[in-house]
Amino acid sequence: MLLGIDVGGTHTDAVAVKVDQDGARVIASCKVPTRHHDLMWSIDTALDAILEQVDRNQVSQLNLSTTLSTNAIVEGKIEDVGVLVSAGPGIDPHNFMPCRDFHVIDGSVDHRGNEIRALSREQLDQALASCRKNGVRVFAVVGKFSTRNPRHENAMRRAACACDDDARCEAADFVTSGHQLGGALNFPRRIATAYFNCAVWRLFNEFADAGEASLREKGLGDVTVNILKADGGTMPLSQSRTLPVQSIFSGPAASVMGIVALTDIFHDSVILDIGGTTTDIAVFADGAPLIERDGIHIGSHPTSVNALKVRSIGLGGDSAVSIIGDEVAVGPNRLGPPVSLGGERLTLTDCLNFQGACEVGDTAASKQAVERFAEAHTMPADALADRAVEYAARKIHDETRALVDEINSKPVYTIHELLEGKRVVPRKLYLMGGPAQALRDPVFHQFKLSTEVPPNYGVANAVGAALTRTTWELELFADTQRHVLFIPSLSYRENVPSGYDLDAAREDAVNQLVMQLDSLGVRLNAEDAKITHASSFNMIDGYERAGRNIRVKCQVRPGVSATLAKEA
Amino acid sequence: MLKAETSLGIIFFPAFDWAISPTHPEREERLLYTQDQLREEGIFDIEGIGEYKPDVASVEDVERVHFCFPDVDAVATRSHMISAGGAMKAAELVMSGERRRAFAMTRPPGHHAMKVVHGSRGFCNINIEAVMIESIREKYGHKRIAIVDTDCHHGDGTQDIYWHDPDTLFISLHQDGRTLYPGTGFPQDMGGPTALGRTLNIPLPPNTSDEGFLMAVERVVLPILKDFKPDLVINSAGQDNHFTDPITNMNFSAQGYAAMNEMLAPDIAVLEGGYSIQGALPYVNLGICLAMAGLDYSHVREPNYEPERIRQDQRTTDYINKLCDVLPELYFNPPPFQGGDRDGQGVISGDVFTRRKNIYYDTDGISENQQETLHLCDQCRGVYKVETSSSSNPLSLGVEIPWNACPHCRELGHRLVEEAQLKGGGYRYIQLINRKDREYLRYGF
Ligand SMILES: [Zn+2]
Ligand SMILES: [Zn+2]
Ligand SMILES: [Zn+2]
Repeated sequence: MLLGIDVGGTHTDAVAVKVDQDGARVIASCKVPTRHHDLMWSIDTALDAILEQVDRNQVSQLNLSTTLSTNAIVEGKIEDVGVLVSAGPGIDPHNFMPCRDFHVIDGSVDHRGNEIRALSREQLDQALASCRKNGVRVFAVVGKFSTRNPRHENAMRRAACACDDDARCEAADFVTSGHQLGGALNFPRRIATAYFNCAVWRLFNEFADAGEASLREKGLGDVTVNILKADGGTMPLSQSRTLPVQSIFSGPAASVMGIVALTDIFHDSVILDIGGTTTDIAVFADGAPLIERDGIHIGSHPTSVNALKVRSIGLGGDSAVSIIGDEVAVGPNRLGPPVSLGGERLTLTDCLNFQGACEVGDTAASKQAVERFAEAHTMPADALADRAVEYAARKIHDETRALVDEINSKPVYTIHELLEGKRVVPRKLYLMGGPAQALRDPVFHQFKLSTEVPPNYGVANAVGAALTRTTWELELFADTQRHVLFIPSLSYRENVPSGYDLDAAREDAVNQLVMQLDSLGVRLNAEDAKITHASSFNMIDGYERAGRNIRVKCQVRPGVSATLAKEA
Repeated sequence: MLKAETSLGIIFFPAFDWAISPTHPEREERLLYTQDQLREEGIFDIEGIGEYKPDVASVEDVERVHFCFPDVDAVATRSHMISAGGAMKAAELVMSGERRRAFAMTRPPGHHAMKVVHGSRGFCNINIEAVMIESIREKYGHKRIAIVDTDCHHGDGTQDIYWHDPDTLFISLHQDGRTLYPGTGFPQDMGGPTALGRTLNIPLPPNTSDEGFLMAVERVVLPILKDFKPDLVINSAGQDNHFTDPITNMNFSAQGYAAMNEMLAPDIAVLEGGYSIQGALPYVNLGICLAMAGLDYSHVREPNYEPERIRQDQRTTDYINKLCDVLPELYFNPPPFQGGDRDGQGVISGDVFTRRKNIYYDTDGISENQQETLHLCDQCRGVYKVETSSSSNPLSLGVEIPWNACPHCRELGHRLVEEAQLKGGGYRYIQLINRKDREYLRYGF
């Protein structure tokens, strides 16, 4: 039995899901309020409610999506971090300074991973002395091109933390090395990601400790615990302790994975999660959710944290209706709940109530509100309601179109991709969230595409959390002229012969991915590890072939371990 | 967070699946490290800088500019069409106002491709700047355009295409043709009789460093640009003047390139050559991107940059100084057209200008003989005609009716094509570029 808990902004949802050969079945669910300043309480309460309905001895796994790291950053409850960077030539790194204790150390590594200039030991010692004077206990060490050669990051790590192993030491409590965050190139993002990882590390680990203690008390000490990531996958709790930044913004991912679990998506599709205040739009290509290319922004900082591509627009059931010029508009502001639920401003939900598309709260109050508003603007009440609903559907349509166009105009790098490249052409819509059923027809009229509202959509996010699989990715970089193979996220380095080629690299990438997941207790079918990028460039010296520059990216894509069983 | 002072669109198309041959300098690896550097610097996260994918040039986009024999498909691969399409995308971003400036980093390059194309010269098949410029003029009207070609090699193809165009100013800075391919580009080449002074060549001696380049830009290029008042300034941005470039002998640096770009302030830059793919391109292209966006580039430096070691000597400085004294005169007060068939300037007889050329396509090993004719007209640009034969194509004909053709010249252009068809057997292929009516016709295929 799998448990899923999604700690949302208003509610914490939990489900227990049983999986057998027919698929998954939700056997228990609950909703409790989220206490922002005591998330453990919300999780505990939700868990207790579920455990009352099921046999706790059957529980094998708990997947948790939490806003803890997000909130800590948004509310500024983060720890001082010492950030040490080795930048070399390029854009002045001071442009990317995330905090006070930021130190640029002379030294440089080039794009192929050659050390051009050694790290200045003297500057490094001075920087650390300065951090220590300020009482800094956690450090982010980041080098430009460290994903090609982590030498400078390793030197900085050793200096910051005066011991070699990961044991607690006198000099530092935690160090994040940039290259361990992933193999992608982007120095400023690596700095920001390493910084945030350190900034929430202590808080996250205290939370993880408390969570493990609580599970032991409930007799669930042996249950596998995974934390949701924004990319639509999970990571084991042990892993999340050193990569807490990966747990950020996992809410929309839980919803999207929920839809994946509740339906069978094969085609290019659009998922609309219509909530109270916002609508989240996600796009699927050939049945797989699309990923944000570079990573999400945290505040104003772009990071390398992977995420599903989800666009949020200010339009939901609680969005206020207004008249701008001749047009009836809805959103983007939420000015309180619908009139039918005791609010004062006319909302989209009230208009849907008026039309009879749904019955939320006091429908008579909605009817009066629509009539009052229409009279004040000298128009027939039914026209007002119709135009408001039509506006909402059109807005969702236009924003979706814009997102799809943006996806289709993303840069590509080969002739093949450009001329035969895949365009996303949505063929189907999936709607979820409170107003989903009520908006189904108006949305269909805009898109003219098959539109489905799956059953169980009320608990979709928690179901998504429960069934989400572990994702992992790694990038392999090999340079046969330098005889080196490097997998940054694993800090794995190996010597390779001159004859090492792309096929060998593909194989190594898959093997390393499977082995890494195995060491984390995750069993993976080798066919789930997909090569998503593979290129090999001949390097020429004079007019002679000097070696190959090989890049391979391998990942376990987001997915669910089971989809919901069809109701008999 | 960094924010660009001038918004910039970057079209990056490294054509990672195309090369002339595996070890040719113009190969897949060429923009690999530039891509790595730009990505690692996080340049696309800077507010105001955006990355775009290229358009694909159509056959008509190419036929608006070139006479391709036997046809466009025979001389241009898909990669060439995308490279030209990348330049067109850069132009579209600027013309539509989506970005103030744009830099097309595409390959293969194009500035050695001439008006007539039988194959590849200097790794170039179609002239991507010219295809771009004429697509701008087709869509946005007949703009006055200045091209500053800062590739180390003389931009002989671009010069050839605009030789008779008084509305296009072509300035080429390059390593002296007596010491480098293609061996042309001397000050006496100033343009045809109807466009004298609209072509300006600035041959610089080997080992010219930042000082010499920037002096030539300051003292020759900038005053001429100021006078010409172009609607658009385009930089044919070849990065092969770099001190590490394997096929040239100049000593320009990334700092120098960035500073030069800041001075020229081009609306659009289009990458041309540059074959030091590890030691120069990542740094030069980064410096240019930052300069175009109005951002600080002072920290951009090559790993082995030692300004003292590559500094030009006094003799070089003195020589360039003298050039800077005399060259602007060729634009401001061009000497009257002298003509002469022996020196390749052509002759005027009656109202017809005639010039003979022998062209060698070094990349493809093709030899071409051509005779071009311009019917001089005081109402319009005049009808252009070229008869060409090469080791890969029999005698063929190209006729161009200019965009502002007077009724008489329009009629003349059509008549030349009709007569050539009626004569029969004379020409294997005939192409008509009719800019006036936007009609691009081919016969004999
Ligand atoms: Zn330690
Ligand atoms: Zn060149
Ligand atoms: Zn005329």
